Amino acid sequence: MLATAGATLAGGALLLRGATAQAQSDVPGARKPREGSAADTGRRYARQDWQAPGVPGRDYRPVVVPNGTKLPWKAVDGVKVFHLVAEEVEHEFAPGLKAFCWGYNGQVHGPTIEVVEGDRVRFYVTNRLPAATTVHWHGILLPNGMDGVGGLNQKAIAPGETFRYEFTVRQSGMGMYHSHHDEMTQMALGMAGLFVIHPRRPVGPRIDRDFAILLHEWRIDVGTRRPNPNEMTDFNVLTMNAKAFPGTEPLVVRKGERVRIRLGNLSATDHHPIHLHGYQFRITETDGGRLAESAQWPETTVLVPVGSTRTIEFVADEPGDWAMHCHMTHHLMNQMGHEFPNMIGVKPGGLDAKVRTLLPGYMTMGQTGMGEMVDMGMAVPANSIPMMGGKGKHDTITMGGMFTVLKVRERLDGYGDPGWYENPPGTLAVAASTDELRRDGIDVSTTPAAEPGSPDGTRRG
Amino acid sequence: MSARGLLCLGLLASGCASIQKERGHAEVAALVEERLGRKTRWNQGTPEDAEVARHLDTLLMEDLTSDRAVEVALLNNPSLQSTYEDLGVSQADMVQAGLISNPSLSGSIGFPIAGVGVSEHEFSLVQEFMDIFTLPLRKRVATEQFMADTLRVAHEALATAAEVRKTYSEVQARQQLVELRRMVLTAAEAAADLATRQREAGNITELDLASERASAEEARLDLAQEELSLVEDREHLNRLLGLWGPRTQWKVSEQLPALPSQEASLERLESLAIRQRLDIDAARKQASLLWNALELARSTRYFGRVEVGVHTHRDADGPRLFGPTLTLELPIFDQRQALIAKLEAQHRQGERRLMELSINARSEVRAARARLLSLRMMAERYQRVVLPLREKVVEQAQLQYNGMQLGLYALLAAKREQVEAYRSYIEAVRDYWMARAELERLVGGRLPGQTTQPSPPETQPDHGQPRDGGTETPHEHGPQ
Repeated sequence: MLATAGATLAGGALLLRGATAQAQSDVPGARKPREGSAADTGRRYARQDWQAPGVPGRDYRPVVVPNGTKLPWKAVDGVKVFHLVAEEVEHEFAPGLKAFCWGYNGQVHGPTIEVVEGDRVRFYVTNRLPAATTVHWHGILLPNGMDGVGGLNQKAIAPGETFRYEFTVRQSGMGMYHSHHDEMTQMALGMAGLFVIHPRRPVGPRIDRDFAILLHEWRIDVGTRRPNPNEMTDFNVLTMNAKAFPGTEPLVVRKGERVRIRLGNLSATDHHPIHLHGYQFRITETDGGRLAESAQWPETTVLVPVGSTRTIEFVADEPGDWAMHCHMTHHLMNQMGHEFPNMIGVKPGGLDAKVRTLLPGYMTMGQTGMGEMVDMGMAVPANSIPMMGGKGKHDTITMGGMFTVLKVRERLDGYGDPGWYENPPGTLAVAASTDELRRDGIDVSTTPAAEPGSPDGTRRG
Repeated sequence: MSARGLLCLGLLASGCASIQKERGHAEVAALVEERLGRKTRWNQGTPEDAEVARHLDTLLMEDLTSDRAVEVALLNNPSLQSTYEDLGVSQADMVQAGLISNPSLSGSIGFPIAGVGVSEHEFSLVQEFMDIFTLPLRKRVATEQFMADTLRVAHEALATAAEVRKTYSEVQARQQLVELRRMVLTAAEAAADLATRQREAGNITELDLASERASAEEARLDLAQEELSLVEDREHLNRLLGLWGPRTQWKVSEQLPALPSQEASLERLESLAIRQRLDIDAARKQASLLWNALELARSTRYFGRVEVGVHTHRDADGPRLFGPTLTLELPIFDQRQALIAKLEAQHRQGERRLMELSINARSEVRAARARLLSLRMMAERYQRVVLPLREKVVEQAQLQYNGMQLGLYALLAAKREQVEAYRSYIEAVRDYWMARAELERLVGGRLPGQTTQPSPPETQPDHGQPRDGGTETPHEHGPQ
C-alpha cells in the first residue's frame, strides 16, 4: 500500500523512461528551477526535462580531485547510472596514520560525482555497513523523496539493502553528498563526497584547471585506529580530500592558466578560512550558485562555512610553490596534544636529570614551541603522525593538517608533482650579510626605536 | 632389714637424686634442630656462654639472613631463655619424684621421776614402705611430665623462630617499600619542580603550583611514615633477637626472595602437622601421664601408709628389746576415690584437649595454606600481569609524551602508578612469606619440598636503561 502510494507520488515519473518521461513535467517542481531560486541562473532551455548525458571533454572539462577519485557511470537509456557502496574502509590520512573509516566504494571520502546540468542521474546505493544509512544530496535541487534524510524523506537503507535515487540535475555549481542517517556518527567516520555539476553551456571565462577539494575534520587519538564520532568540538585531524599534510597532493598548474578551486566543507563544527598565498582570487560560486560579477570581491582568504561550498577563480601568473591552507592555526596541526602543558619559556635546569632517574628517556620539550619536535625523531605511539612537519625544499614545513601547495610552473610534463620550485636568483630570502647590514646602517645589537604614531613624526635614516 | 636391702634402697635413691643441668635442653635442642636445622642454647652463665656471644657477634656482623636471624633468636631470645628455665623446674620435679621418702628415726628416753630405777629408752628407725612399690610408676609419671614440658619448650622455640621469620620478612619488605616511597617522592618533587619553573615562566596559576607542591609534601610525609615503620619493624626484630647496643646495627641487604616453584599438598601438610607438631605431642604425653597417674592412684587405692621399721626398747628393769615395727594405715574411709575421680576427669580433659588441638591444628593448616595459595596467586598475578601492564603504561605514556600528547605531569603520574603497583606486589610477596612462616609454625617445622632459597624476584620498578629514541615494542618483563 505504502509502496504503491510512494511510487505514484514520488517515483511514478521516475519509473518511466524515454518518451513517457514527458509525464514528469506534470510533477510539481520537477521541470525547471523554481523562479527566483538560487539555481535559477536565468537561462532557459527549450526542453525543461532531462537532456542527453553530458560527456567529458565535449560538454565539460573534468575537475581534478587531488588525492581523490571519481565515481564512474554508464549511460542506460539516456540516464547516467552510478553505484555507490557504503562500506568500511581503511584509509591513510598521511604516511603513518591509518584508520578504519566509513566511506563509499573503498574510498574515503567517497568518489567525486561529476555530472552536467540537465543530466538524468540514477544512483544505486548499496549498504555494506553494519548500520542503516542514507545518502543526502547536499545542495542539490531534487524531489523531496530523493533528499535522503532518514526517517523524514525515506526509510533508511538497512545493512544489505540497495536503494535507488533518481533525479534530474537542474542546476550547476558544486554540491556534496553525505549520509543523513545518524549523520553525527557516519559523517564523523567519513561518509561524504563531492558532487560537481558543470553547466550545460560554459559560463564565464574558460577554466584551464578545475580543482575540487572537500574539507573535513576528525578526531583520531594518537595510537588509535578509528575516528571517534563522539567528539563534538576537539578535532585533531584536519583534512583536504581526507588527507592531512604531508599527505596532501599539490595542485599543479601551468603558468598563465585560469584556475578554479572548489572548496566544500563537511566538517562537524569548524569553518575554514582557506588562505591562498601569492594571488588574489575572486569567489565566483557559493553552494547556491554562481555569483554575479559585481558581487565577486577580491580576496586572499575564503571562509568556507560548515555545510557550504565556495568556488574561487584566478589566473596563475606568478610561478612558485604557493601555500594554500586553513588559517585557523590549530587546523594546521596533526593530532595535537591538547593535554600538553604550556612549556614556553620554562627553563628546565636540573629537571631533566631529576626526571631521568625515574624515566631514562625523558627530555624536557616545548620550551620554545612545538617546531623543534618535528626534527627530534623521538619514538611516538604506533599509528600516529607528528603534530606538524613535512619536508620542504629549504627546511621542515612546520605545518600539518589542512595544508597543501599550489605549484605553478612555466613548463610542465603532465600534471604530476613537478618537485620544488627553483627560485630565480635574487628572489629568495637569505641571511643578510655583514656587508649589507653595514651598508644599510643596520645594527643588530640594538632594538630600533619605535616612532610616535603622530603624522608629523619624522623619519630618521 | 638386711644391710643388703639398705644398700639397694640407697642405690635406688641415688639413681635419681642428681640434677643434670643440661638435661632437657639437649632434647629441646635436638627437637628444634630436627625441625629447623638450627641449634638452640641455654645460657647458664658458663664459660661457653662467652663463646656463644662471640658466635652471635659473627652472625650479626655478616648480612642478616632469615636463617641467621632464627639462629640468633634461638641463642639469644630472652623470653626463650626464661622458658628454658622451666625445664629446670620440671626436672627438679622429676628428681623429686624419684626420691624415696627419708626414713625416720625416733627415740625416746624416760627417766624415773622418783629416782628409783634406771632410765628407759626406746629407738626406732621407720621407713615408709609403700614408696618402694609406687616409685617406678611415680617416676614414670614425672618423667612423662618432664618430657611434656620439654616438648612445650621446644614448641615455644619453634614459635619464636616463626615469629622471627615473619618479622624478618617485614623488615626486608619495608626496606623496599621505603625505597619505592622515595621514588614516589622523586616523582612528586619533579612535578613540583616543573610547576615552579612553569610558574616562573608565567604559564600556570598559583593554584596549580600550590597543588603540586602540596602533593610533593604529602609524598615526603608518606616517606617519613614508611621510614618510621621500618624503624619499628627493626625494633620488633631486635626484641625477638634479644639485641641491644651495638648489636642492633645488623643489615639486611637481600631482597624478598621469589616464591618457591610449588606448594606442598594439603593432605601431606595436615598429616605432617599431626605427626610433628610438638604441642600436640605434649598434649598426647600429658594425657598419657594423667592415665599413668590414674593407674597409680587406682593400684594403691586399698593401700594405706605402710611403715616398716626396727625399734629397740629397753625397759627400766627389763632386757633390751629389738624388733621390727609395722604400721598400716587402714583405708576404711579414704580409698582415694576423690583423687581417682579427679584424675579420671583430668585424664578425660587431657584427651579432649588433645582432640581439640588436633582438629584445630588441621583446620589452621588448611586456613594458612589457603591464605598462602591466595597470596601466591596475587603475587604471581602482579608479577606476570600487573607489573608488565604498568610498565607498558609508562612506556606508552613516554611515547605519548614524545608525541607531545601528554605532559610530564601525566607521565609522572603513570610512573607513580607503576611504583604503587610494585608496592602492592612487594606487600603481597611479604605477606606470602609471612603466611609461609605461619604455616611452618602450624605444621611444626619446615615445609616439605623446600630446598635452597630461590633467587630474589624483581621487586623494584625498572629504573631502566636510557632508551635511545625508544621503541614502541614493549619490553618483556624479566629480571634485570
